[in-house]
Amino acid sequence: MKLRPVPVVAVGAIILAAIAAPLFPLPSPVAMDVAHRLAGPSSAHWLGQDEFGRDVLARLLFGARISLSVAFSSAALACVGGIVLGLVGGFQGKLAEILAVRSVDIVLCFPPLLLALLVVTLLGPGATTLVPVLTIVYLPGFVRVVYAGVLQVRQQEYVEAMRVLGASRPRIMLQTILPNILGPILVQFSLAAASGVVLESGLSFLGLGVVPPAPSWGLMIGAARATMTQAPLLLLWPCLALTLTILSMNALCDALRDAADPHAAPRQVRRRIVDLLAPGLQPTSDAALLVRDLTIEIDTPGGTIRPVRGVTLEARSGETLAIVGESGSGKSLTGLAIMGLLPQAARVVNGSAWVDGTDTLRLAEPALARLRGGRMAMIFQDPLSSLNPVHRIGAQITEAIRAHRAARNVWSETVGLLRRVGIPDPEQRAASYPHELSGGMRQRAMIAMAIANNPRLLIADEPTTALDVTIQAQVLELLAALKSERGMSVVLITHSLPVVAETADRVVVMYAGEVVEQGRAADVFAHPLHPYTAALLRSAPRSDGSMSEPIPGIVPLPYALPPGCVFAPRCSHAAPECLAARPVLTMPINDRATRCIRWDVLERVPEVMA
Amino acid sequence: MGWALRRIGVSMLLVWIVASIVFVAIRLVPGDPAELLLQQGGAAPDPAIVAQLHEQLGLDQPFLNQYIDSFRRLVRFDLGNSLEDDSPVAGEIMQRLPRTLELIGAAALIALLVGLPTGLVAGMAPRGVMDRVASWIASLGLATPVFVVGTLFVLVFAQWLRIAPAGGYVPFARAPGQHLLLLAMPATAIALGLAATVFRMTRAAVLDVSLRDYVRTARAKGLRRARVIIHHVLRNALMPVVTVVALNLGTLLGGTVLVEYVFNYPGLSGLLVEAVNTRDYPMVEGIVLVISILFVTLNLLVDLIYAALDPRVRYA
Repeated sequence: MKLRPVPVVAVGAIILAAIAAPLFPLPSPVAMDVAHRLAGPSSAHWLGQDEFGRDVLARLLFGARISLSVAFSSAALACVGGIVLGLVGGFQGKLAEILAVRSVDIVLCFPPLLLALLVVTLLGPGATTLVPVLTIVYLPGFVRVVYAGVLQVRQQEYVEAMRVLGASRPRIMLQTILPNILGPILVQFSLAAASGVVLESGLSFLGLGVVPPAPSWGLMIGAARATMTQAPLLLLWPCLALTLTILSMNALCDALRDAADPHAAPRQVRRRIVDLLAPGLQPTSDAALLVRDLTIEIDTPGGTIRPVRGVTLEARSGETLAIVGESGSGKSLTGLAIMGLLPQAARVVNGSAWVDGTDTLRLAEPALARLRGGRMAMIFQDPLSSLNPVHRIGAQITEAIRAHRAARNVWSETVGLLRRVGIPDPEQRAASYPHELSGGMRQRAMIAMAIANNPRLLIADEPTTALDVTIQAQVLELLAALKSERGMSVVLITHSLPVVAETADRVVVMYAGEVVEQGRAADVFAHPLHPYTAALLRSAPRSDGSMSEPIPGIVPLPYALPPGCVFAPRCSHAAPECLAARPVLTMPINDRATRCIRWDVLERVPEVMA
Repeated sequence: MGWALRRIGVSMLLVWIVASIVFVAIRLVPGDPAELLLQQGGAAPDPAIVAQLHEQLGLDQPFLNQYIDSFRRLVRFDLGNSLEDDSPVAGEIMQRLPRTLELIGAAALIALLVGLPTGLVAGMAPRGVMDRVASWIASLGLATPVFVVGTLFVLVFAQWLRIAPAGGYVPFARAPGQHLLLLAMPATAIALGLAATVFRMTRAAVLDVSLRDYVRTARAKGLRRARVIIHHVLRNALMPVVTVVALNLGTLLGGTVLVEYVFNYPGLSGLLVEAVNTRDYPMVEGIVLVISILFVTLNLLVDLIYAALDPRVRYA
């Protein structure tokens, strides 16, 4: 866990000052000197004297002692209580859950200050009353955090494993659960302590907390009100002390939260280097999409990585191009980059992507927006998360139409689109919310949205992965029918070879961020020129039921790419020269490309062809 | 619909539990409340007067009878009479409650007007100049307790600049201008911390929603940035903000105590502090009960609003 140092140092300094208060050569915080009431700063009293002539600095420091000890002891008590109740509630069955977790929620029915006032009425004011009050107030927070943590961890395999191994319940709780929820508990603790300081000072300010003459910041502010026109500084010092303390404690809470959740801090977006380069010339080609030398960088906590390197590919008009690869091969990022939809942390550092005569990588956002959903469209893997849950299906489609043209009968056009993609009862379905549709229907709706403006290019990113097998075939058929009907080019991003075999005219195989092979689908399937393609074919599930062979080893992490050929560590044909230098994409046969330098050797090995 | 009814049922159950807790708590006071009350002077109270007070409070009845009786009266909205001046507690509360609600409403309005737009701008361009400046101000706003803000307001605006009265209350009907002027300072003092919370929540929600798949879809459709923000980001980001504001409003029902005290504003919380100080049990019991019921009702409303904003909730 990495913590920002400033808040830690600030809170540490405040706590130290409070602990060390009696060691400083200061007058007693309760010693009165009425002759010098409201006296300004002097060498004996650095911050002056209050309405009874007491030393302000001493009262500030000793006030910190009381504030912090009340806040921390109540937070600690609530923390212990919360851990016990949360663990018991999470592990001991339904009844325990109701008694330990749900019942504590009743505390939440009272506003905190109100609850404090109620208890003060019953027990009378004083620091000893404050601790139980604040403990009760903070208890539900801790119980919830611990209980949520238990629920999350309870089902995980290692907890199950420990139970099978015969570990006792308390041991499982202490050893496996607590370390896992330590982060959130720490955050909750700092929140409770910080708000403890606020509540203590507030109650003391009302005269219902710490009892005079004991020093407390709240009491000091309350007392200074009477003399604030004569001695405004007397009011400012405790205000400042209180605000700075809470500010540092809040900052510590935020720092703890960020440290406990590494996703919280987004990285800064850098300007795309490609924007600075001179605009490229459009290559002469009738391709609907032409990607040249695309390289993408991503900033990660572990350093900058290049998950897509030098990708070149082409989708011809009216054809389906499949981009195939395992997850992490960079195929989805390539699709997003073409659309200008890369996540913030990612950026294009090199290359061009020509769609309909324009390089989308060099377009400014407004021009890009006109192209997106117009000449080029995209559908995504998970249709549920990709549809806005709070808008009706029909509204989301009309929106796509209106974004690009002023159509007269948008609604009937929308219904027509839904009908075209095979949604039954399109009039009713248009008025449905996404969660009311089945997975297959949602993806059909996504397709309707994508084809609304007759795009020339449709990029489909794993469009069938989230669907049932029977639905998958239907959606692929729909895409193929739409392609020929409207003369679109389809770029189909997938990891599934059967899907490619069924639909693709051409195929690009990607591995670890690089194109390793491309060519006509039939040729590539019959005759792979790269050992990765061959291995991928062997690993695919077979229709005749014979065993498929998984590819040995794993995809290299983008942090640690091997020198030479990136596939060499997993390749059964690797030779010493494969490790020497990174191979380039070559075209050994007409209309075929491979990145393997031993493609000719591979071709002569008969077992590959099986 | 069944969902909403179930949620309302749970809320009524909570109100019953809260009322019971308040009832039991008051009677669990160490020592006899009547004696405690009469002891204030220091001398031992006269047994005859204690007995009389017992009868007045119904403390001479068996516990269960008191409990049933108090609920019977509660249904008729009879919360008993104040020990101070024997006036009905319910009447006193009804006079004070609207003022506190007005104060909270004004504070929430200011907080939303300030917090929502700044949070949206900051969330759309995280780490930008606007974001950094606003985040710093928000941190300061969150770190300054409301009574500190209030007291400093009085010092600066009432004592030094003399542009506003230090506090007090005038009914709207009598002097509308003065009424609003007197409302402005306490409302702003409360709004400061609340605006900071709204800002943070809006910013976080906008950041979170911006990364969702459906926002990517909206961009993939070619929608203009403004439409993506308003139609797809804001609508979804609003939900957590609504929750936080509403929950904070509930907390404020009890939290206006400090502000009402600082500005000498005769609201419900001020009445509560008085009652606590004078150990006016029926009054404390009544006020705590009313505020808790409002708090529970507000949470119920939040859930219902949530369901209206997010169609998925209705089926959960």
